Amino acid sequence: MPDNSSAIVHVIDDEAPFRRSVLFLLESSGWRAVGHESAEDFLKAAPEFPAGGGCIVLDVRMTRIGGLELQRRLKASASPFPIVFMTGHGDIDLAVQAMKEGAVDFLQKPFKEQLLLDTVERAVRLSLEQHRADRKCREARDALDRLSARELEVARLLALGLSNKEIGRQLAISENTVHVHRQHAMEKTGAGSAADLARLILRADPGGLD
Amino acid sequence: MRRLPRRGLAFLLLVLLHVAASASDLRIGVLAWLGAEEAEAQWTPFFEALQAQLPGKRIVARHFDVAGLTRALAAHELDFVITNPGHYVMLEETGISRIATQVASARSDPAHVVGSAIVVLDRRRDLQQLTDLRGRSLAAVSADAFGGYQVAWSELLGAGLNPEKGEPRMLFSGFPMTTVVDAVVEGRADAGVVRACLLERLELEGKLKPGTLRVLSPRATEGGDCRASSPLYPGWAFAAAGTTAPELSREVLLALLSMPADAGGMRWSVPADYRPVHDLFRRLEIGPYAFMRETGWHALVRHAWPWVAATAVLLLLWAAYTVHVEHLVKRRTRELTAVLAERRELAERLRSGQEQMEHLSRLSILGELAGTLAHELNQPLAAISNYARSLLRRQDRGTLSPDALAQAAQEIAGESERAAGILNGIRGFARKRGQVREARDIAEVVGEAAALMRVMLSRAPEIAVHDHLAGRREVTVDALQIQQVLLNLFKNAWDAEQAAGDASPIEVHLRALDDRCAVEVRDHGTGLTPELQAHLFESFFTTKPDGLGLGLSICKTIVEAHGGGLQAEAAPQGPGLVFRFTLPWCGQDA
Repeated sequence: MPDNSSAIVHVIDDEAPFRRSVLFLLESSGWRAVGHESAEDFLKAAPEFPAGGGCIVLDVRMTRIGGLELQRRLKASASPFPIVFMTGHGDIDLAVQAMKEGAVDFLQKPFKEQLLLDTVERAVRLSLEQHRADRKCREARDALDRLSARELEVARLLALGLSNKEIGRQLAISENTVHVHRQHAMEKTGAGSAADLARLILRADPGGLD
Repeated sequence: MRRLPRRGLAFLLLVLLHVAASASDLRIGVLAWLGAEEAEAQWTPFFEALQAQLPGKRIVARHFDVAGLTRALAAHELDFVITNPGHYVMLEETGISRIATQVASARSDPAHVVGSAIVVLDRRRDLQQLTDLRGRSLAAVSADAFGGYQVAWSELLGAGLNPEKGEPRMLFSGFPMTTVVDAVVEGRADAGVVRACLLERLELEGKLKPGTLRVLSPRATEGGDCRASSPLYPGWAFAAAGTTAPELSREVLLALLSMPADAGGMRWSVPADYRPVHDLFRRLEIGPYAFMRETGWHALVRHAWPWVAATAVLLLLWAAYTVHVEHLVKRRTRELTAVLAERRELAERLRSGQEQMEHLSRLSILGELAGTLAHELNQPLAAISNYARSLLRRQDRGTLSPDALAQAAQEIAGESERAAGILNGIRGFARKRGQVREARDIAEVVGEAAALMRVMLSRAPEIAVHDHLAGRREVTVDALQIQQVLLNLFKNAWDAEQAAGDASPIEVHLRALDDRCAVEVRDHGTGLTPELQAHLFESFFTTKPDGLGLGLSICKTIVEAHGGGLQAEAAPQGPGLVFRFTLPWCGQDA
C-alpha cells in the first residue's frame, strides 16, 4: 500500500446499490472512499475537498450530466483527480473518447474487484505524482517571481548556457553588471549553478527556454 | 261318331241348329265337369223335360269346361248357364243372376246341397279327425272340384292344415269321383275327398260294401241322409245372363219349378243365397278372391295399374329429384366444407402468423432494450460480486466486523432479488402464448405496463397517468398485448425525449372518446414531420438506427384485433407527439 493515507477515492454512480458495493470494496482495501449520487453532487462538494491525492471512479451513463461531460468540465477546471470510468455497456466509442480525454482506465461492469483496486491504486499514485509535480512547479514559479525583470532575463540566458561576456554583449551591459545580476538571481532562487537555474525555469514553465 | 246313341245324334242336331239361332232360341251353357259325353248323357233328359215345359221355345244346349263356359258367356253366346256353385260365384262378376238352385230332394233346402266327405278305411284307427291327416296323403278328383275338393280344403284349413303346403299331401286322381274311393280302398291314399252323398249312393248301388269307408269328423247335415265332413253349400245354379230379358227369365224359372224330380232325385228350387260360397272362396283365396294370394304390389298393379304406374312414375321422378337434390346438396356441402376448411386454415395461419409476429415484436422490443437490460442485470450482479469479494478481503486482513458482514449480506440478498425480478419480467414478456380476452380496468393495465417499464429500466422515465374516466372503466382485452402496445409507446416516447434532451414525464391520458375508451401517450420530443408521420405505422419504417420498424405496425395490428384503432398526431401544445389508441368498452361490439 503506497503512501495514500491522505488520498480520497470519489465514487460517482447514480445506481445506489452498486455505488455502495464499490465503496464497501474500496474500504475493505483501506481506501478512504466517498460516494456521490450524481455529477452535480460531486461538483457541489468539490471545493470542500482537502488537498491531497485521490481519484474519481465514474459511471459513464447517468441522467443529466453524464460521465464524459463531467470529465470535460473537470479537465477545464484543471481538476487534480484522475478518472477511472465504469460502464455497464461495452461501449467502445465512449471508451476511446474517454481515454483520449485522459482517463486512467475504462472498466466494464461487472469487473474483477482486483482490477478496480489496481486501477484505483494506479490512479491515486498518478494523482500523488501530479500533486508533487504541481507543488514543484508552484515553488519554481514562486522562486522566479522573486526575481526582477533584468535578473530573470540574465537567469534565462545563463540557463541557455551563455557566458557573462556574451550575456553582457547581448543585453548591452557590462560584464560586471551581469555578474551582479547573476549573484542576485542565484541567491533569490537558491540555485547553485546555471544547470539548477535551467531546471527551475523548465519546472515553472516547460516552454520557458524556447 | 257312329257309336253315338240316337239321342246323342238328336242333341248334336240341336247344336247344329244353333248356327241359325232365332229369337225363340233358348241358348243354355252347361258346365261339363265330367266331360262333354258324360254331361250329355246326364243332362239330355233334363233338357228334354224342359223343352216339354217350354213348347214355344227351342232349347239349344251346349257343354263347356269352366274356361269355355266363361268365354261363351262373355261373347254373349248364351242366355242361361247351369254351373256349380263355385263357378257361379265366379261368373257373378259378368252380371249373371241366378234364377234357381238345384236341390237333391223335395225336402232339401237349396242353400244346403253340396258338401264334402273325407273318407278313410274304417280300420284305420289312427285316423279319427281331420288333424290326423297331417303328413298323410289325401286323394281328390281335381283342384277345381267344388264339392270334390274345395269344400274339404276349407275344412282342412279350419283344422290348421294346408294342403297347398303338403299337409296333407294331395293326390289328384281325375274324374270320375269313384277313382278316389278306389284309391282309398286300395290303400294308395290314406284318405279321399268325395261329394257328400256319393258314399251313400255307392253303398246303395252295391258298389261299395257298407262299413268299408268311414267319414272323418262327420257332422249332421240338414238333409240328414248323407254323411259329410263339411257343412253343406248351395247346389248348382241356373242363372240368366246379364242381357237376358227378365220376362224370359221368369218364364224359364216357372218351367224349372214345375219340373218333377229327375231319376237321380234332383230338382230345381228357388235360388239360394250363395254368400257361404263367397266366404269359402275368400277363405281359400281362389276364384274371385284369387287376387288375395297375390302380394299387395301385384294386386295393385293389376287392379289399378294406371294409378300404380302414375304413382310409380311420380315416385321415380321424386326419387330421381331427391337423388339429384341430395347429390347437389352433398356437392355444395362438400364445396362449402372445403371452402370453410380453407378459410379456417387461412385464419389459423393468419392467427399463428400474428402470434408469431407479436412474439417477434416482443422479442424485438427486448432486443432494443437488450443493451439496457444487460446493464440492469449487470448492476446487481456486479454489486453482489463486490460485496462477496470485499468480505473475503476483510476476513483476510482481519478487519471483518459484524456490522460490515450484516450490511454486505443484506445488500447481497437485496440485489439477488432485484436481479430475479428483472429476469421474471422479461421472461413473462417474452414467452410465446395464445390469445386471451378478459375484462380489465384500463387504468390497471396501464399501471402494470408502467410498472413493467420501471422493472426493466432502473432509470425509466417518469410516467404520469391522468385518469379522466368518469363512468365505464372496463375493456375486454389481452392485457399482455395491450401492455406490449403501451411499452412500445413508452419506449418511443422515452427515445424521443432523450433525443430531444427533455426529461419531462411521459403523460398518459385515459378518457372516454366517442363512446370508446381512449388511451393517449404524449411525449415531449421534437415530434415528427408530416411526411414521417404518414409512414409511421408501416412495417419496417423506423427513424431509429437500431430499430426494426416493426413496433408500431404490430401495435396497430394488435389494437385493431381488439376492435380499436391507433393514431398519431402532434401534441396540442408545444413540441411532441400524441399516440392515441381506442378500445371498445367491455360488452360493446367491436
